[in-house]
Amino acid sequence: MAPTTDLLQGTLDLLILKTLALESMHGWGIALRIQQISKDALQIGQGSLYPALHRLEYKGWIRADWGASENNRRAKFYSLTRTGKKQLEAELADWDRLTAAIALVLKQV
Amino acid sequence: MLIELLTRLRFLIARKTHREVDEELQFHLEQQTEANIAAGMPPQEARRQAIIAFGGVEHAREECREQRPGYFVETLLQDVRYAMRGFRRNPVFTITVVLTLMLGIGATTAVFSVVDRILFRSLPYAHADRLVSLGMVQSLETQEFVMGGFYYDWRANQKPFEALTSEGATTPECDLTERNPAQLSCASVEGNFLATLGVSPVLGRDFLPEEVHPNGPKVALISYGLWLSHYDQDPGILNKTIEIDGSPIRVVGVLPKEFEMPRLQAANVLLPMAVDETADRSANSGFGQPRRAFARLKPGVSIEQAQAELQPLFQDVQKLIPKDIRYDFHLKVRSLRDRQMQDVHLTAWVLLGAVLAVLLIACANVASLLMARGAVRGRELAVRSALGASPIRLARQALTEALLLSLVGAAAGCALAEGLLRLFIAIAPAGIPFLDKAQLDLRIICFTVIVSIVCGTLFGLAPASQKPAAPMLTGRFFTAATHAAVRQWLVVGQIAASLVLLVGAMLLLRSFSNLQNQQLGMRADNTLTVSITLGGHNYPTAERMMVFFQQLQHRLQFGPGVSLVALSDSLPPADNHNSARYSSIIVSGRPPLTEGSGGLVTYRLVSPEYFRALNIRLVQGEGFSEEQLTSTDRFVVLSQQLATRLFPERSPVGERLRFGAEDPNAPRFTIVGVAANVKNGGLTGEEEPEYYLLKRNRAEDWEGRGVWGRTSVIVVQTSLPPDTMSRWIRSQVATLDPTLPVDIATLRQRVNKLADQPRFETALVGLFAGTGLILAIIGLYGVISFLVTQRTQEIGVRIALGASRGNVLRLVMGKSLRLIVWGTLIGLLSALAVSRVLSSLLFSIGPHDPATFAFVTLLLVLVALAATLIPARSATRVDPIVALRCD
Repeated sequence: MAPTTDLLQGTLDLLILKTLALESMHGWGIALRIQQISKDALQIGQGSLYPALHRLEYKGWIRADWGASENNRRAKFYSLTRTGKKQLEAELADWDRLTAAIALVLKQV
Repeated sequence: MLIELLTRLRFLIARKTHREVDEELQFHLEQQTEANIAAGMPPQEARRQAIIAFGGVEHAREECREQRPGYFVETLLQDVRYAMRGFRRNPVFTITVVLTLMLGIGATTAVFSVVDRILFRSLPYAHADRLVSLGMVQSLETQEFVMGGFYYDWRANQKPFEALTSEGATTPECDLTERNPAQLSCASVEGNFLATLGVSPVLGRDFLPEEVHPNGPKVALISYGLWLSHYDQDPGILNKTIEIDGSPIRVVGVLPKEFEMPRLQAANVLLPMAVDETADRSANSGFGQPRRAFARLKPGVSIEQAQAELQPLFQDVQKLIPKDIRYDFHLKVRSLRDRQMQDVHLTAWVLLGAVLAVLLIACANVASLLMARGAVRGRELAVRSALGASPIRLARQALTEALLLSLVGAAAGCALAEGLLRLFIAIAPAGIPFLDKAQLDLRIICFTVIVSIVCGTLFGLAPASQKPAAPMLTGRFFTAATHAAVRQWLVVGQIAASLVLLVGAMLLLRSFSNLQNQQLGMRADNTLTVSITLGGHNYPTAERMMVFFQQLQHRLQFGPGVSLVALSDSLPPADNHNSARYSSIIVSGRPPLTEGSGGLVTYRLVSPEYFRALNIRLVQGEGFSEEQLTSTDRFVVLSQQLATRLFPERSPVGERLRFGAEDPNAPRFTIVGVAANVKNGGLTGEEEPEYYLLKRNRAEDWEGRGVWGRTSVIVVQTSLPPDTMSRWIRSQVATLDPTLPVDIATLRQRVNKLADQPRFETALVGLFAGTGLILAIIGLYGVISFLVTQRTQEIGVRIALGASRGNVLRLVMGKSLRLIVWGTLIGLLSALAVSRVLSSLLFSIGPHDPATFAFVTLLLVLVALAATLIPARSATRVDPIVALRCD
């Protein structure tokens, strides 16, 4: 197993928003997708995913609708709202700025 | 932002159900299990792995719930409900804390509101902190003044001030002689008076330069009060002509509502001081007319610097003063605030100190009570923590309780403060300025509430913040030891603080009783006094004043129940009377006394009946007689103190005196008697030597002498009740002159008025001392009874092993005795150090009076022991079987 990296504070929200940008998904799907794309490097505690989802929902960035899953089970699908899309752009920009700044420091020192 | 808010609102109304969350989590687990099965795990293992990967399901469910909007409020309500239940279960604790807070917050807020007006009120002038009052002082006039003879030089040559201005030394009565006549006060001020104070009229304008000339147009500014009472706030008053003392004067402006004269005296009309400089310089045998001067310091100049810079100017002035009295004159520059407040400062600081002590005691009590509660609840906290409550959650619970108590206490305290403030205003003497305008200040309430919340929070959190130890679950109290030590020191501090308060209160009380019981040397009962000041316009000559008072005296003499009527220009024991220098008395046939020695002598101008009316005994001689009233000779009666000083060896009766060393042709006075000494320097002041001049029926004796020249006091002995009599007297005065204000009071009332300030101080400090004592006793009782409860088991063992009741009593009392002894010792030392502050407020009692200290110590120790007796007795009644069985 590749070494896992602890998530930076606040990056979970960004990951969720980015994942949902492509299509609406249920919680398990989100967990799976993040794990797969990061090639298992990012192991998010599945348990901590749900409070984050609820928080984002309460903020109005994502919305939840009941729908049928691949195997025809009732599941809750999350999708980005318009505010959520704006928020994602803002957070991505922030992230770029932050990583660029850190990279700059690391190269210099 | 708006969308976020709306979303939250939507979820607040339509909540997610528990089932919804459960279903979602369940779905996740099943998906994972299926995935695991697909990867080749047996179904049971697959489910186990799924749950492991997920982490705590219950935890996740809780966390989802905590994300909900309104979760904070929900838990807050929960905490409040829980706290309320706790309070109901323990009403004694709750009531004690609330009462303690109420007393602490109430007393502090009320006194701060009063003191704030005295010490920190903002004066109604621009940049009032740069305003000073300046001039010279001497023993005959202790409030700084300047003279026209040198004032102009000062104004021209001074450096430290941006502006220098002055008003007339007195604010004389003047008469509004219009259709609605009234007696007013007219202040005459320099043209730059308002500008220097930084005040501009609300209506109209300030004086113009040409109006300050002796021959300039006659104009005036009127007060807001006069504008309201006489002119219905009509803006048409501007440029209207009103008639003052019979001459037309044009109103050019109205002063602001909050305007007050710098010396706080009443003034309805401001007139420009239109004097000719050369004339003023030479008036009053070269000294000029007296004035009161005020100035605005240049920015950055301190009062001390100003005083130093004025010194050369003052030295020039000293050369004008006769050599023999020159030593008596000093330069004085002080802030306007000090000038206004005089020595009320000290009272204010003493009150502030007392109230802070009470607040400290109250806070210590709250802290101690909360800590005791925390210690008792150690087990409960341990259980809650074991059931999964986070430390933050526990701390929040404790905080909620402390805040709830503080809020209830604060609300009760504000109600108490309002009541106390009304009480203060009711009992306060007139001498404390602005007290009647004091009101509860929001800042002050906030301050005290914050103090109580901070002390509640600090000590409420202390027990909660400690990680509950596992042994706590067994229900035995192990960890309370450190808290107990802190609480004991708190009690020691409380006892010490209340001892200091009690000493202060007792000293003031004894001083007050000394004041009340001293011999005045005269009769104050059944005596009515009528004080009338005549205006200069209606009574321009001494002749007119004499006629008025003679007519009035004549009318009163034949009044109902009147046995005696006498007249004087002032009355003892107040210290506002005429004074002369002792060295100005020259006995015929003797060389003048050494110059500049002997201090001051009081004198009064009285009618022959004066001594009988006040029941002042004549020790020698006959006193004044009716025949002397029309005599061309002059007569004088000396007080015993003055007589023994002037004539130590022989009887003074028949000797002759003159007053004023400079003038050898001054009229001679024949001594016709010696009167017993009378208290004449105020209630607290030294008794001064005194002489009485006969006020004859000749105009020359009615010439304005000193400040009290236009005022006369008529003393009436009557058998009728004072209320009836004063109504009748008022009607008699009104028939002679309906515009005259009359001040009627019994002599007893006038004497009591002088004791108002000490009474106020004593009542307040006594109130605080009582409050402090009660709080300290509550604290002591709480600590001791807590210790007893804590040691019930130990005491049970002791009794089972054969300890007698006496042994147990000694064990508990010994503990409390140690606290009491420490508290008393610390308190005595601090009281010895602090009570010196009071010395100037005390009358014929030292600040270290041993009897007071002994009595207060005894009182405190006895009361404290009594408070510990109750828990100590209950300790002796511990049933060893019950004590050993519990837990």
